[in-house]
Amino acid sequence: MMMDNDEAKFERLLQDAAKTYNVPRPTPREEMWARIKASRVRRPQPWLRWGLAAAAVLLVGIGIGRVTSNQSAGPGTAGATPDTTGSALVYRVAATQYLSRTETFLTGFRADLRAGRVDAFPGQARDLLATSRLLLDSPAADDPRMRALLEDLELVLVQISQMEAGRDRRNADLITQDMDQRNVLPKLRSAIPAGPVPVRTQGAT
Amino acid sequence: MDERDLINRVRAGDGSAERALYDAHVDRVYRLAYRLAGDDALAQDFTQETFIRAFEKLDTFRGDSALSTWLHTITTTVVLNGLRKVKRFHRREADLEAADGVTGGRRESEPDLKVRLREAIDALPQGYRTVFVMHDIEGFTHEEIGVALGVETGTSKAQLSRARAKLRESLADFRGEWIA
Repeated sequence: MMMDNDEAKFERLLQDAAKTYNVPRPTPREEMWARIKASRVRRPQPWLRWGLAAAAVLLVGIGIGRVTSNQSAGPGTAGATPDTTGSALVYRVAATQYLSRTETFLTGFRADLRAGRVDAFPGQARDLLATSRLLLDSPAADDPRMRALLEDLELVLVQISQMEAGRDRRNADLITQDMDQRNVLPKLRSAIPAGPVPVRTQGAT
Repeated sequence: MDERDLINRVRAGDGSAERALYDAHVDRVYRLAYRLAGDDALAQDFTQETFIRAFEKLDTFRGDSALSTWLHTITTTVVLNGLRKVKRFHRREADLEAADGVTGGRRESEPDLKVRLREAIDALPQGYRTVFVMHDIEGFTHEEIGVALGVETGTSKAQLSRARAKLRESLADFRGEWIA
């Protein structure tokens, strides 16, 4: 009987304590609604998004294809034809990986600010920044939406890459505010095609 | 206005209906996202993404379940995928820290019940933790959890039972002290 009472008391204690686990603050309705509205206005319809993503992949692919076919042709080789079938996969993987890695990086950046762990970010931002600039210089940036997204990402990544390790908490807060105001993460997510994304954990490009 | 009318108005592009739908469900979506993420910025991100997806996909909602159930399915998908990304990112960071020889200091003072419980919940396998948070903290039924997570009701019950057992086991050394 005593055991049952103790058990019940222990269960109640656990249940009460569990209510204190990750207690939410009052719902920031208006802030979130404003960002949802802004994102939906800017976010293209699904068919257009797929089209944009496909176009971006194709354009990046053509750029890379030209470089690789020129390299493989070598001096004195005339009339070399790019392997469009094989390279299409490479282009798709490259572009999708870049967008996906940047989303993962920025999501982690925001999440880690509270823990004050910002030391690893500048180096990783520099890696991604190099890729952003390659894409900005490629035909992929001919599309105005893609260019706008890449420019937003470039700006954010530049700011992060210039943070001083361990001494830039305030700067980091300003960067995240800027990201929120310009809806960088929702725009980035909307540009990533749905479905499985090829993941690579090492290297920037 | 009943839910079906509201959905039809949203589908027809009525902005005020979108807001009404958002107002009706945002609290529970945000609370669930926050409980699972433990971070306000992430919870806001996940909540926004949930509603953006919901508005985009509302045409595919067939009404087999309540709209809230459908929304919570999207919420858990968005949150769990998002947390996986954060975890992957943390793992990379941890690898870098390990390579640099950086280690965290050990906690010196004895943690209290809430801290110990929090750590124990955090340490649960993802499936157990999700069911525990949804059922014991946020008050979802096993039927709602089953639909949201795409598992059988029995699986939800079993996972909750295992989650509780693991928590009891993790906190066993403090049991006598708390009861006294």
